[in-house]
Amino acid sequence: MSSGVPRALRETRHLLWTTLPAALWIVIFLILPSLYLVSMAFMTNGPYGQPQLPLSLEAFHQLAGFGFLGWSPGNLYTLLRSLWQTVLSTTMVVVLAYPLAYYITTCRQKWRPIMLLAVVVPSWTNQVIRAFGWMNLLAPDTWLSELAVRLGFIPEHLGLFPSSFAVTLGLIYNFLPFMVLPLYAAFEKLDMSLLEAARDLYASPVRAFLAAVVPQTLPGLLAGIVLVAIPAFGMYVIPELLGGGRSMMIGNLVAAQFAEGSNWPLGAAGSILMLIATLVGIVLLRRLGRRFGGGEEVVI
Amino acid sequence: MRGGSMRRSLAVVWWVVMVFLYLPLGVVVLYSFNSVNSAATFAHFSLRWYHRLFSNPQIIEAFWHSLLLALISSMIAVVLGTLIGYGMYRHRGRRLGWLIALIYLPIVMPDIVFGISEMTFFVRFNQLTGLLGPGLGTMIIAHVTFEIPFVALIVYSRFVGMDATLFEASKDLYAGPVRRVCHFIIPAIKPALISAFFLSFTLSIDDFVISFFTSGPESTTLPIYIWGAIRKGVSPEINAIATLMIGAVAIAALLSLALSRRRSASRQ
Repeated sequence: MSSGVPRALRETRHLLWTTLPAALWIVIFLILPSLYLVSMAFMTNGPYGQPQLPLSLEAFHQLAGFGFLGWSPGNLYTLLRSLWQTVLSTTMVVVLAYPLAYYITTCRQKWRPIMLLAVVVPSWTNQVIRAFGWMNLLAPDTWLSELAVRLGFIPEHLGLFPSSFAVTLGLIYNFLPFMVLPLYAAFEKLDMSLLEAARDLYASPVRAFLAAVVPQTLPGLLAGIVLVAIPAFGMYVIPELLGGGRSMMIGNLVAAQFAEGSNWPLGAAGSILMLIATLVGIVLLRRLGRRFGGGEEVVI
Repeated sequence: MRGGSMRRSLAVVWWVVMVFLYLPLGVVVLYSFNSVNSAATFAHFSLRWYHRLFSNPQIIEAFWHSLLLALISSMIAVVLGTLIGYGMYRHRGRRLGWLIALIYLPIVMPDIVFGISEMTFFVRFNQLTGLLGPGLGTMIIAHVTFEIPFVALIVYSRFVGMDATLFEASKDLYAGPVRRVCHFIIPAIKPALISAFFLSFTLSIDDFVISFFTSGPESTTLPIYIWGAIRKGVSPEINAIATLMIGAVAIAALLSLALSRRRSASRQ
């Protein structure tokens, strides 16, 4: 061994050669590219859709809806729609996952891993295939669409897809396992004696549940909400396949600027918005996690 | 709790969700055996889409691309991720906050922003140097980037779960660092390395968005092929390819179940 080298130096050298390859990889192939993308948002859109100098805030102006023909609400609607879809699908996922996770914990020990697996397995299939499955189910003239026509939800000969409804459904489908797993972990640790104590003190079942069960599952619930809401907000595949032009979300708006529309600065400005949204979500979780305790350990 | 009615309604929720989760996949599997090209009517059983699938060279090529991409990227990611996971463990006493933030970045970044960053970067780099044109190479780079964190976290938590005195003992047992790595560290974390490799492999096979933005015309993977076919709305073989992929997932699920059974059996 190189005994001549001081121990502290040797340790630092060890730290460098173990961590540097991967760290450099991420810096070169992710941080530099994202900085490049961020910087593009402050450039001007060239005639062929390529970013060019001078520096300007034109892209952010366009993102806010200002164009050649004055202001239009299109982009604002897209943003609001993304927020609405995120809130709606996350709420629905909580409503479904909460009883589900609890039910699994009440089942016999030997069934639980199988039940958890049954919840997770669909999400192992490719998300394009999952969306395709829903396209098949919700297309015009399928029995689900026929049923919706009979019940008067949609006009005749139309399908349930493409629509905002299909996007919400696809989001719920996609993210349900992300909520069930952390909630299940929370329910499994549940201290039932608190519930019994509440019942002994003549709390109504609802009050006992709200006071003794819900607070204990809060860390898992918070973790689940972040795991669902952050990726739901930036979802690309589901609105692209299941939604029509009027169900676009922010991810589709951004992607479109790099394809047919070709306005890289505008797309970059949209990306910044998505990054900020992600950051806000993470900071919120850390705050809430600290307040309720133990929220962070569950995340990822 | 109060047994009866509550549990029964929970069971109803469970079965409703199960139908919800498996219905779309079941429909895909069912219609892959449909003799006519329709999502509304099932005529009768037929294997014609599977015949068409296996005689379509584009699909076969896409399959090999997916496999190659997953294999190569996972191997690179396991090496880099294991190194950094070990480094983070060995030096956990130091302030490594920035390193942990770095590791989490690829996980938390929205995949569309991830993919587009890589794409714009590679395009610009290619314009400047003529290297790294869009293709399997750029896809491998992008996939390694999002796989590293998962490998690092798996390996790191395996080290944390180990008895720290083992490291001291191994220092006494094996003279050089190379022997220590070969005879102690790698065997000790072998389960973690295997599960890290399989997770990377699965993440890579499963990825669509990042592949989509970093791929070139010659490096279509299965999900990208399926996407294109759906967008054009012309390829009835999609149900058949999708069914084969669902079948692969089902096999993986059964395997993982069998493994966890065996593990809990050996623990008892």
